Amino acid sequence: MSANGIRRTLSLAVTLAAGLVLSHGPAQAQEKPRTGGHLRVAWSQFPTSLDAVLGRAGGDAYYWRQIYDQLVDADESLQPAPSSSLAESWEVPNPKTLIFKLRKGVTFHDGTPFNAAAVKFNIERVLDPETKATPKAAFEVIESVTVVNEHTVRFNLKRPWGAALSMLADRGGAMNSPTAVKKGGKEYGFAPVGTGPFKVAEVVPGSHVRFVRYENYWRKDKQGTPLPYLDELTIKFIRDDTVLVSALRAGEIDLAYVPYNDAEAFQNDPKFNVRVFEGGGIAFLVTFNLAKPPMDNVNLRLAVSYAIDPEAINKAVDFNRAIVAKAGMWPVRSWVYDPSVPRPHYSLEKAHEYLKKGGKPDGFELDVVTWTNHQPAAEIVRAQLAKVGIKVNLHVFAVGPATEKFFGGREFPAFLTSWSRYPEPDWIGSLSYKSDGYYNAGKVPNAVMDKLLEDGASAYDIAKRKAIYRKVNEIVLGEAWYVPMLYGVSFAAAPKKVGGLETVFGWDAKMDLRLLWLRQ
Amino acid sequence: MRTFILQRLMQFIPVLILITMLVFSLLLAIPGDPVRALIGPGEALDASQIQVLRKEYHLDEPVLVQYGIWLANVVRGDLGRSNQTQRRVLAEVSFRALVTAQFGLVAWVLSVLIAVPAGILSAVYRGSRLDLLSTVISIGGVAIPGFWLGILLILLFGVRLGWLPTQGYVSLAESPVQWLRHMALPAFSLGVTGSALIMRQTRSALLEVLAQDYVRTARAKGLSGRAVVWVHALRNALLPVVTIMGLEIGRIFAGAVVIETLFSIPGMGRLMVESVFQRDFPVVQGCVLLMAVAVLFANFFTDIAYTLLDPRIKYD
Repeated sequence: MSANGIRRTLSLAVTLAAGLVLSHGPAQAQEKPRTGGHLRVAWSQFPTSLDAVLGRAGGDAYYWRQIYDQLVDADESLQPAPSSSLAESWEVPNPKTLIFKLRKGVTFHDGTPFNAAAVKFNIERVLDPETKATPKAAFEVIESVTVVNEHTVRFNLKRPWGAALSMLADRGGAMNSPTAVKKGGKEYGFAPVGTGPFKVAEVVPGSHVRFVRYENYWRKDKQGTPLPYLDELTIKFIRDDTVLVSALRAGEIDLAYVPYNDAEAFQNDPKFNVRVFEGGGIAFLVTFNLAKPPMDNVNLRLAVSYAIDPEAINKAVDFNRAIVAKAGMWPVRSWVYDPSVPRPHYSLEKAHEYLKKGGKPDGFELDVVTWTNHQPAAEIVRAQLAKVGIKVNLHVFAVGPATEKFFGGREFPAFLTSWSRYPEPDWIGSLSYKSDGYYNAGKVPNAVMDKLLEDGASAYDIAKRKAIYRKVNEIVLGEAWYVPMLYGVSFAAAPKKVGGLETVFGWDAKMDLRLLWLRQ
Repeated sequence: MRTFILQRLMQFIPVLILITMLVFSLLLAIPGDPVRALIGPGEALDASQIQVLRKEYHLDEPVLVQYGIWLANVVRGDLGRSNQTQRRVLAEVSFRALVTAQFGLVAWVLSVLIAVPAGILSAVYRGSRLDLLSTVISIGGVAIPGFWLGILLILLFGVRLGWLPTQGYVSLAESPVQWLRHMALPAFSLGVTGSALIMRQTRSALLEVLAQDYVRTARAKGLSGRAVVWVHALRNALLPVVTIMGLEIGRIFAGAVVIETLFSIPGMGRLMVESVFQRDFPVVQGCVLLMAVAVLFANFFTDIAYTLLDPRIKYD
């Protein structure tokens, strides 16, 4: 063959080879999200308010997240995500000052421009006692807000606020339209106006909330397609798990979190995709009142913690779908998660050792409170503790009274419960570990802990904070204040036609529907 | 008769006051701090925020004062706003009540339509296989919980066959066809279990009447079986049945809660249960008031129905 011929053959061969490689590549990577369509989602709570600032229940976020943008948005591990935030950048010129440079060209659903004045209005609204804003307590550290220019705003703080960016990714950082708030009055709660990809179209109390696309949404995807992809979104309130699963199977809804016992069936079903979020909450934990005997004795607390076998509970109650906790109250998938801190694990030997150290080698009697959902797990704990001679008297109440009896009434030495996912360490720190925190049942003054928490709350550098909170966990886990046993896992199931499912979990493990799309 | 009606209507007022006062006291007697219940676990409010809420909802006042405030507003037509959502109670409760009324009515009609003919047939063909079948079904109906039946129906007609929706509510105004499709399973689950009772009652009442002398006389006079049953026997038999049908309304309200939760119907039963858990007093009181009024009227109309059925019954 001539030189030209060889060259031509070679280039043909290379082209063919390249073609083969590309055609067998993952189709997903080349897939372009399709615009349009109506996504129907199911969730088991109806919102107490669609206004992020006024709502009081954790489940509200599923709804309001879709209509707001955060001043500072966060990714799954609670690291700041400027590309989806209303603040393009920020700086900390000194520990008591935060300066945010705002994105330009953003408007609220009612056309009001988003600017520094709007930010000032929103923060002041949160701080105003008349508003009765849920995030007020966390924002008290803000002394005042100054409008530097149209797109620059300055927060003047009373003290350094390390948790600032995390808190601005939550309720208090969701920006409402000042015009709409002033006009809306008492009815604003269910007709809120944000800058987000969807706006509220219809609210049928007890049934569903319907959203439609906001045409002037500022955000575009990496290919430059304006977001959101969907035309319409409906979140239906379905309380019963059986019905939820049935509706998903029957094609009446396109996305839902499925309970543990159904997760495997959906994972094995070729018609469905399932995304898993580990660390969706603390599914089961034991916490103690450090001032109430016999749990004022650290060795006896450790004895109890070592005697509990979380794997057995996982198998019996959670269909083995939860994960055994290897760290503290800040679960997996958060930047502060640190499994290197020594903590109690299941060991009958150690349990006996601590019983001896605590002066009760033959065991003792313990009053434990829990609430209805956790009764099965609590019974298992009772049996496990009996093995080392600890006789448990179990008291079961509804969730409200149980929580209040333990933390408010301080009537019991031990509480078996669960906890929502709070990846911002200062949140749990100031409420549960601080000497005077509401969720610190014993309220035993501990200057070391309080200083650590103050340092952690004031530091801005994540590495520094992580080191400080590691020390916090050394105390909390080493002295058995709050001992998580199982971390929850969330399973989001959707038929194959739902695209973008890998973005469905927010940093709080709640649904983020803003980047989803439908395949046909 | 007119005085009777007026007297009965006047009696409503003290009854309503008594009921609402009782419920109010019970609500406040539930252990636990209502404000904490309002907030729910997890969200953190500091002490000053809680105080503000406590003052706003008058939760720091004595029980009688709180009730008095509520009553004074009700008399002016203001049922207040939900502690949870800030929405007007009257609007919220009446919307939900309408939904419950709709599917309750369909359930009730279904119940009666199934039960009365079944009862008549059972009585007329007593001892036959038809009677036996009716009896088995009716006993089954009393034993089977509506919730369980509902789940089975969802799995069969919703998931397996895909004929009917598994949950939700569509208003009649929006689409009559969808309304009926969404009503079918919940109304059936709720109505069928009650129909058993009505059917048994119809059967035994009719049997008793058919054994009477005047029925035998009618037959002796040569009247056809059908004429005997319809014209002479049934009206007399219906009195106890009408009583049961009236009581059914109360039972349907109660059973509605479970069915509403199962089928995700935005009804009043479910609203009431959730509001109790959340200690949302204005909403609970609003629901109780409405339900009490409904039941009182149901009983009242039952009594009126007696006079229509049996001219011998007179109220003076």
